Amino acid sequence: MSIQAVLSLSFTAAAAAGILLMGFSFIWRFSAANEQTVAENSQRILAQANLSLDSYLRRMMRIADTVYYRVIKNTDLAEGSYSEALGLLYEENRDDLVSLAVFDSRGTPVAAAPLASMKAGADPKHSEWFQAASQSMENLHFSAPHVQNLFDDPDSPSRWVVSLSHHVELTRDGVTEPGVVLVDMGFSGIEQVCRNVTLAKDGYLYLIDGGGELIYHPRQQLIYAGLLEENNQAAALYRDGSYVEEFQGRSRQVTVKTVGYTGWKLVGVAPAESWLASTQFFIFGFFLLSFAIFLMAFLNFLISARISDPLRRLDESVKALESGREAEIPEEGGCYEVQHLSRSLRSMVSTMRHLTDDIIRQEAQKRRSELEILQSQINPHFLYNTLDSVIWMIEAGQQAEAIQMVTSLARFFRISLSRGKSVIPLSDELDHARHYMNIQQMRFKNQFTTKIEAQPGTEGLYTLKLIVQPILENAIYHGMAGAEDDGIISVSARREGGDLFIDVADNGVGMPPEVAASLLRGERPAVQTSGSGMGVYNVHQRIRLTFGEEYGLTILSEPDEGTLVRIRLPALNREEADRRQQGEVL
Amino acid sequence: MKAKKSTVVEITILSLLALLVVLSLLIPQFLRDRGQERLWSLSVLLRDTDSSSWNVARQGMEQAADELGAELRFLTLTVQNDPKEQEELLRREVEGGADALIAVPADPDGLYGALRRASDACPLVLLEADPAEGAASVAPDNALLGQRLAEALLEDWEGAGTVLLLDTSAACPEVRPRLEAASQALGAAGVPVDRIYSVPEDPGVRWVMAFESGATRLAGQKKEESGHDFALYGVGSSPVTTAQLERGTIAAVAAWSDYAAGYLAVQQAVQALHGHSQLLDPLPFSIVRGEDIYAPENQKLLFPITS
Repeated sequence: MSIQAVLSLSFTAAAAAGILLMGFSFIWRFSAANEQTVAENSQRILAQANLSLDSYLRRMMRIADTVYYRVIKNTDLAEGSYSEALGLLYEENRDDLVSLAVFDSRGTPVAAAPLASMKAGADPKHSEWFQAASQSMENLHFSAPHVQNLFDDPDSPSRWVVSLSHHVELTRDGVTEPGVVLVDMGFSGIEQVCRNVTLAKDGYLYLIDGGGELIYHPRQQLIYAGLLEENNQAAALYRDGSYVEEFQGRSRQVTVKTVGYTGWKLVGVAPAESWLASTQFFIFGFFLLSFAIFLMAFLNFLISARISDPLRRLDESVKALESGREAEIPEEGGCYEVQHLSRSLRSMVSTMRHLTDDIIRQEAQKRRSELEILQSQINPHFLYNTLDSVIWMIEAGQQAEAIQMVTSLARFFRISLSRGKSVIPLSDELDHARHYMNIQQMRFKNQFTTKIEAQPGTEGLYTLKLIVQPILENAIYHGMAGAEDDGIISVSARREGGDLFIDVADNGVGMPPEVAASLLRGERPAVQTSGSGMGVYNVHQRIRLTFGEEYGLTILSEPDEGTLVRIRLPALNREEADRRQQGEVL
Repeated sequence: MKAKKSTVVEITILSLLALLVVLSLLIPQFLRDRGQERLWSLSVLLRDTDSSSWNVARQGMEQAADELGAELRFLTLTVQNDPKEQEELLRREVEGGADALIAVPADPDGLYGALRRASDACPLVLLEADPAEGAASVAPDNALLGQRLAEALLEDWEGAGTVLLLDTSAACPEVRPRLEAASQALGAAGVPVDRIYSVPEDPGVRWVMAFESGATRLAGQKKEESGHDFALYGVGSSPVTTAQLERGTIAAVAAWSDYAAGYLAVQQAVQALHGHSQLLDPLPFSIVRGEDIYAPENQKLLFPITS
């Protein structure tokens, strides 16, 4: 998987997880806060409804008090009647009242409004409201809702009422006797108080008495018809406050407020849907979440592309390089790390290329040097000429010279081989030069003399193999070209500090300094004499490759004065020579 | 190759998310459109010339219409129990665009036939009548009702006289199963029965059974007017019937909630329009005697709450 895909997908997954977590926690918090708000709202509304209901009930109680304190207390039944006063009170409150009546202790009506005639079978004394008033004399008593069936009304059917009853003292002929005041409240007043209340969405309010009997319910008739059920009996057991209950498989919040004095309870019902997030809210939330995730995914895609594109281009360049194609590492902008990586890669590639070029060049040089060595080891011309000289000597009866030449030749080749070692003792190298010069002197009939010496301090030092012979060869073939018997070639080795110097000097024709310099640059001499002309350059390169740039050859030459070739080497003792030899082998 | 694959995966995911966003935008719109349901137009065809005796049922219908999103048109006949006029009224309502019909039928089968001739798609709900072919019904179990009413009479039976069964089935089809069930129950108990077609004038009559509210009300009125002393057993829960029951004019009635009947009729009609019509259980009914009308459950049944 690409770095962009990893970045994009992982960021998107993380963002999606975060967004979903936030979304669900938001919905949860929203629902919890909503539930709390609905509860507080219901409690506030119920408190207001309670005030209105309390006010209404107090008005009813005042009517009962008025009947008692203004009518009954001020009227002796032997002298007057309550009827007119009750009629006036009824007319004054007819919107809220169904009937107003006073009964004596036997349940006989003393006065009533608006109707006075009782139904044939009416039995007030055994009514629940009469009993309650008689038993609890101090208090006003509110009955459960019931159909009032006391009075005979041919025009109107019996009506549902809540009866307010109160024990009173009737005065008849100066004597007091117990009685009961009955105030029948219609449902309209209660309904007006409750119906105008607006709770949460699809919420409603109902009113029950202390026993859980319904007094008002917006769908009361449906409940009475058995088509609907209400959890009113459970609500009667609740204390004031808000509760969440399950009813008929649905969750809902129920808020209860007890109406003072009567023990009635206002019950506000808010279905769970009113505080839980609705389906549409969920869909809207889902849309928002999806959109947020989409946006995050899109941004992640762009950002990850911006981050990964430079890396991808670098990767492609590196792959091209790996496959051997010519490719440039692009210079990338963007992040500091990417810039740094780009620069580092470019630098590494450049270094690698230089190193590769160097290695290739060095390898080529090495191969050429080795070839030169091999050529010098088995120079067929040298061997042929030497053997030809030996044959000539033997034919001329110069057996001793022939033996000497063959002996030198043998020694020359033995040292050339040196068991394959590249670093040999300085003495062997000088011996190698000496035998070479012996052979050449015999061949050139002593046109030049040779002097080979090693100064004190050079004993036990080691040197690269076969570095003096090519210079001697150069001196013979180029320096001594015009010499007669006065040519001198000298080889001198000395130690200076940590360096070993081997000077090869001749008094031959010399050369201009620029020619001398060109020899060390590997440029072939303009005038070919014999040999490749590259021997000196090869020696110089071998020394530098082996020991470093500060070592090698220095050529000092003047035309007609001679030439001095100075070889500079590190002064290697045996251990160092062995170590270097092992390093080469390894 | 790998990078290409990853890009394809990313583009696929982005496309899916984009599709999700588009769907999320469309679904709420779709739901909102669905939520805005039309107001159903329901026609209520009565078989009476006056709808006052259906006031309580009408309250139930209006409650249901309010809750279920329907508007009601109440239509009465010019001639009481005229099947032809009712069928004509039905045809006119269907042509006028009524979505469903609720009918107290003068002739259930004829009414259903007229409906099929007018429309194949308009649901019909019958009140009081037994279920007819293809029409839903909101009514008590009429046969059971007749049987229970007869049993109430048998509880009072003193062993003398003939029980007259007031047969008004010509105008009220639901009377027939009630009457037959009552006749059967009384016959099984060895009580002599006779079928009459109008309220008896004979002062010697001791037992009368009526099987629909109109006949019960009328029989009660005639009994009060004539001062005859027969025991009357009837059907209905109208205020007049309740008052007669309270006064002792009627010995017992089979009563059910007209409010519930009206509510259920509209509910059935709207459910049929939504394609969810289902067979309704028979309406529960009670046998109420005069002395029991103020029992709490009977108060709720016989006295509708009026503000």
